[in-house]
Amino acid sequence: MSDDNFFIGWARRVPSGLAGFLAGVAFGLPVMAGVLALALSASIDDPGGGAFDWDAGEQTLRGIITPLPYPLLHLAPSVRHPAGHTVLLSGIGKNGADVDAALAGRMVEATGVMLKRGSIDMMQLGDDPGLRAAPGEAALPAPVQLGRWRLVGEICDGKCWTGAMRPGSGIAHQACAELCLAGGLPPVLVTTSPVEGSTFLLLADADGGPMPAALRPLVGARLVLEGAVERRGDLLVLRLAPAGVHPL
Amino acid sequence: MSADYKPVSWTRSKAVYDSVMLVGIVLYLLAFLWIGPRLQSVTLPPDAPTMAMKAYGSCAFLMLTLVLCIGPLARLDTRFLPLLYNRRHLGVMTCAVAAGHLFAVLDWHFAYSPTPPLAALLGADTAFIPFGIFAFLVLLAMACTSHDFWLVFLGPPVWKALHMAVYAAYAAVVVHIGFGALQDARNPTLAIVVMLCTATVCALHLAAARREHRRDTSLATPAPEPPWLVAGRADDIAENRAIVVRPADGEAVAIFRHQGRLSAVSHVCAHQNGPLGEGRVVDGCITCPWHGYQYRLEDGTSPPPFTERIATYRLRLDGRLVLLDPRPNPPGTPVPPLELPA
Ligand code: HEM
Ligand code: FES
Repeated sequence: MSDDNFFIGWARRVPSGLAGFLAGVAFGLPVMAGVLALALSASIDDPGGGAFDWDAGEQTLRGIITPLPYPLLHLAPSVRHPAGHTVLLSGIGKNGADVDAALAGRMVEATGVMLKRGSIDMMQLGDDPGLRAAPGEAALPAPVQLGRWRLVGEICDGKCWTGAMRPGSGIAHQACAELCLAGGLPPVLVTTSPVEGSTFLLLADADGGPMPAALRPLVGARLVLEGAVERRGDLLVLRLAPAGVHPL
Repeated sequence: MSADYKPVSWTRSKAVYDSVMLVGIVLYLLAFLWIGPRLQSVTLPPDAPTMAMKAYGSCAFLMLTLVLCIGPLARLDTRFLPLLYNRRHLGVMTCAVAAGHLFAVLDWHFAYSPTPPLAALLGADTAFIPFGIFAFLVLLAMACTSHDFWLVFLGPPVWKALHMAVYAAYAAVVVHIGFGALQDARNPTLAIVVMLCTATVCALHLAAARREHRRDTSLATPAPEPPWLVAGRADDIAENRAIVVRPADGEAVAIFRHQGRLSAVSHVCAHQNGPLGEGRVVDGCITCPWHGYQYRLEDGTSPPPFTERIATYRLRLDGRLVLLDPRPNPPGTPVPPLELPA
């Protein structure tokens, strides 16, 4: 190093022997930053196609409401859904749908914004009031039992996965999902291979009540789960066997 | 240097340095949040808060990598010394970008819940988040104590220990990414970038340590009369430069030559332990290569109004050989420079 490239920070001039080198660094560092940013941003994994349907605005649906394991709205058969359609319900933010016990099993009108991912629909109920009793016959077909299954997949919170967040699953999102489940949102199982045509099952305990709270910390992890699968309308429900969940 | 404490004593170099870093950060965020998404192959793009978390998080990680590379780079190649000069501003900026990451996470993953965001953050039982919190607290503590006021207030050993914690923070961030984002990633780009960064930081530190080890083990030989040591030949010291002498015990000593006279002072700068012997005599003062603190040759004291002081040493000549008494005089003790015969 010759004397004319001794750098002194407080000096007014950069030594001539260093100017070229420092100009290269001053140019190269930001360029490198830009290239790395592009590489990392462009290679982000596909978070799936779930989304809020804000464009459609608030919708009103008519159906029978059942509270367990989590509030579900059962729509009558239609052209699009010949077997009927089962819609998941949520409150606003990380809160489950608040269903008045008096409405259980009754025909209701539900108003809110839809979340959609593939064939899965969830309605985020509005708050003035999101659910109202409605006239009409309330007769639900009995659930169809599909037998005992052992499945591989990930427990997610049903709202984020359906499109409240993109991505709304995985370990990176685990803490968020735990808050959602603690708030009463429905846990769902997303399987690696389809069960009776679906990779999406609502989770319940062995008796058909809410999933045991002790399983919440397992959200986001890859698991093996055992239990009885049943079909309610077009939605599958997995009733977890006691001690039926293990890390993969 | 420190006659009194100002928030920042601005110099032209610091302004240029900070501007380059800010341009780098802005370019990074623009490329990540604005151009990158046009190149993604996705059903629907990730939501904006997730993109912000990833952009700020990865930016802070890359900045921390740069912060850790500058030290060994400057030891291996002195042309990198200017990057060291204002590294603390880079550290403060890293902390600010990491705070952006934290706020994006708090405002998305930990929001919209009946549990308040901070309570939810501290209560999260995910493996990777505590590592992120630890790293952020270290960055915050370092940023808050980066001013020279704290160096004096806490004393160099405590301050140095605190700032060595940056290595723990870096390790924690690598674990944070490995136990978090990388668990989900199907595309390997993030994993490759993190591995390359970690490998670069390790390799540069090993290379710099090996070089320093070779130098540190070359100890000065004792002269026949203790405690004097043979420092070297006077003719081997270039004008306005120093040789560094390492006694078997005690601090290394820098012997400077200026206008046909020799002066010996501590090799360790009073500011942040910079290697004074790698500095120069500028305007008649020893000048530290790190941040340019200056000391007078005859008493190791900074010229007024500054007040820093370093230890001085006694020298004598034996023919053309320079002999050093390795026992330091109290900092600031005047020692008349040793005249070399013409
Ligand atoms: C203050 C505590 C912190 C919290 C709560 C936190 C939280 C998170 C979360 C939730 C993610 C997953 C986001 C995702 O991949 O979608 C993440 C990823 C990440 N964090 Fe942090 N973090 C913290 C501190 C830090 C610090 C200090 C750094 C670096 C200096 C950092 C760097 C990263 C990086 C590089 C990623 C991966 C981003 C990607 O997927 O591209 N984090 N963090
Ligand atoms: S000037 Fe900062 S260490 Fe010497």
